[in-house]
Amino acid sequence: MASLSKSKIGSGRMKTFYAILIPVLVLFVAFNTFPLLTGVFYSFTNSKGYGAFDIVGLQNYLDLFSDARVGNSYLFTFKVAVVATILTNVISLLLAIALSSKIKFKSALRGLFFVPQILGALVVGYVFSYLFTWIIPALTGTESILASPDLAWIAIVVVLVWQSCAQTTIIYITGLSSVPEDVYEAGALDGATGWNKFRYITLPLIMPSVTTNMVLVMKNMLMVFDQIVAMTSGGPSQSTESISYLIYNNGLSGGQFGFQCANAVMFFILIAVISIVQTNFLSSKEEQL
Amino acid sequence: MAGLTLEHVGKRYPNGYEGVKDFNLEIADKEFIIFVGPSGCGKSTTLRMIAGLEDITSGTLKIDGRVVNDVEPKDRDIAMVFQNYALYPHMTVYENMAFPLRLRKVPQGQIDKIVQDAARILDLEKLLDRKPSALSGGQRQRVAMGRAIARQPKVFLMDEPLSNLDAKLRVQMRAEISKLHDRLGATIIYVTHDQTEAMTLGTRIVVMKDGVMQQVDTPSKLYAEPCNLFVAGFIGSPQMNFIDATVGESAGKVTLTFGANTITVPEAKASALKPYVGKAVIAGIRPEDVVEAHEYAEGRNLSEKIDATVTVYELLGSEAMIYGDVDGGQISAHLSAANPVRTGSRIEVAFDVDKLHVFDKDTELAIVH
Repeated sequence: MASLSKSKIGSGRMKTFYAILIPVLVLFVAFNTFPLLTGVFYSFTNSKGYGAFDIVGLQNYLDLFSDARVGNSYLFTFKVAVVATILTNVISLLLAIALSSKIKFKSALRGLFFVPQILGALVVGYVFSYLFTWIIPALTGTESILASPDLAWIAIVVVLVWQSCAQTTIIYITGLSSVPEDVYEAGALDGATGWNKFRYITLPLIMPSVTTNMVLVMKNMLMVFDQIVAMTSGGPSQSTESISYLIYNNGLSGGQFGFQCANAVMFFILIAVISIVQTNFLSSKEEQL
Repeated sequence: MAGLTLEHVGKRYPNGYEGVKDFNLEIADKEFIIFVGPSGCGKSTTLRMIAGLEDITSGTLKIDGRVVNDVEPKDRDIAMVFQNYALYPHMTVYENMAFPLRLRKVPQGQIDKIVQDAARILDLEKLLDRKPSALSGGQRQRVAMGRAIARQPKVFLMDEPLSNLDAKLRVQMRAEISKLHDRLGATIIYVTHDQTEAMTLGTRIVVMKDGVMQQVDTPSKLYAEPCNLFVAGFIGSPQMNFIDATVGESAGKVTLTFGANTITVPEAKASALKPYVGKAVIAGIRPEDVVEAHEYAEGRNLSEKIDATVTVYELLGSEAMIYGDVDGGQISAHLSAANPVRTGSRIEVAFDVDKLHVFDKDTELAIVH
């Protein structure tokens, strides 16, 4: 009897779980999985995004490797992503250490440094675009770096770092607060102060946060899009064309729908592989507290 | 190893709260000093001021004659064992013990020897490659101890190092710490709220309450001659019986009266009580000095008989405790396990008046031991 009534309760609970799960699953499949599979299908076609198309097999994928514009967009995106990821993590960690120390107005400052997170990327992009186009040239008497094919990427990095530091800093603050105070005290008695304290105690103990931040920030940076739209539209002379921007621009308005679908599929696989490799490499450096 | 001097040391927090008040103590080389007291009495704060983890807001702290008030913790040449061990979670046992030596740029060969020696003393040799997360509480505690030993400091500070261990392990580690003290000949300052640890480990004990040092003495002296009501109640388990009594004088003898009971104070203690005749005082007698009628023995200076009713009987194995009511108060007493007295028994007890303590009711200071 006991087991019967237990399973009745169990089935009632299961119904509730399914009632919550199924609508979400349906929506996810309809708006995420299905378009993804459609995209994979179109990557094997010469579709322009409208009208008739033929299946071309792997031709799009082979062409990706010989297309100079695609190659440049990959170079640009990886250059920006690597530099911005490193800068974001270094700056965020410094900020987090400062915001975790015994300073005045700590909560207010933490709130202030979080503001970029709640601003839309486009808004931030336009604000910085104005800054780089008008204010900085006016102050320094130089030409805007947004007009230089060699330097425009630096402006993109600045905006990306400025905005992504907010969330990264919060994660580092959480990581720092999980290090027990008495471990620092033991370190203070043992002689671990200043740089030694950071090198031998703090950094090894916040490795889980470092992993999280490296993977998240790298992924976000690789997918950079809004800031490009707002600041350079890929220019000047296609020097700031990120992979996402190229896929969007040439796929939807450049008549390369099938070709850019292939690009998107390859990009998806690449990001997945990078994230997995990063996670595995960095978690091997983590410690159980 | 070294001695320490604390002169008028005080700790006042920014909000005005005084954690430690006018603390004066001279600690000789190789002493095992215990700071004991209830939570919030300032014992840990005092220890942390010695370590340099808290600022000293008044007074002077000297280690080996050198004033160290403003010296960094790492330059005070002290090692500390924390209540939660504070091991470095990302380092192996070996690395934990070697870390302070590495930071001091000790040559690797020497580090190896020191760590191996410390590991041998504490029986950690087989655990050297493990991380703290793979150790039991007792083992972690030993590693924390090992890290302190490997440092070869002038002074060891221990902040409730046994509080997180289970009862059996605590007794075992207590014995090991005692052995360690003999073996290393180290100066140790040890904080605890457990008066049994204090009594068994210390060469001298500092009893603290509300940031104020109450008494500093050897364990036996502290037990036999507590300076005030607080120390008398804090040291000893079960605690001393306290009975409100009135001092009287009859036929040239000084007496104490509580309820219908009157006991005569022995000659040796009488003169100190003379000024209190007619006044209320607090009489103190430890449970082992309350003797039940079956156990009256020669050689003990027993008082007049007192009638009591047993309300609680606790068998502890080799002995038993009883708690009972007497006219004018309550008492607890030690019995032998063979004693037939049980809950509800109406019994007769007597105090060993040589061991009687009397305290001033207003100042709570001891009048006579």
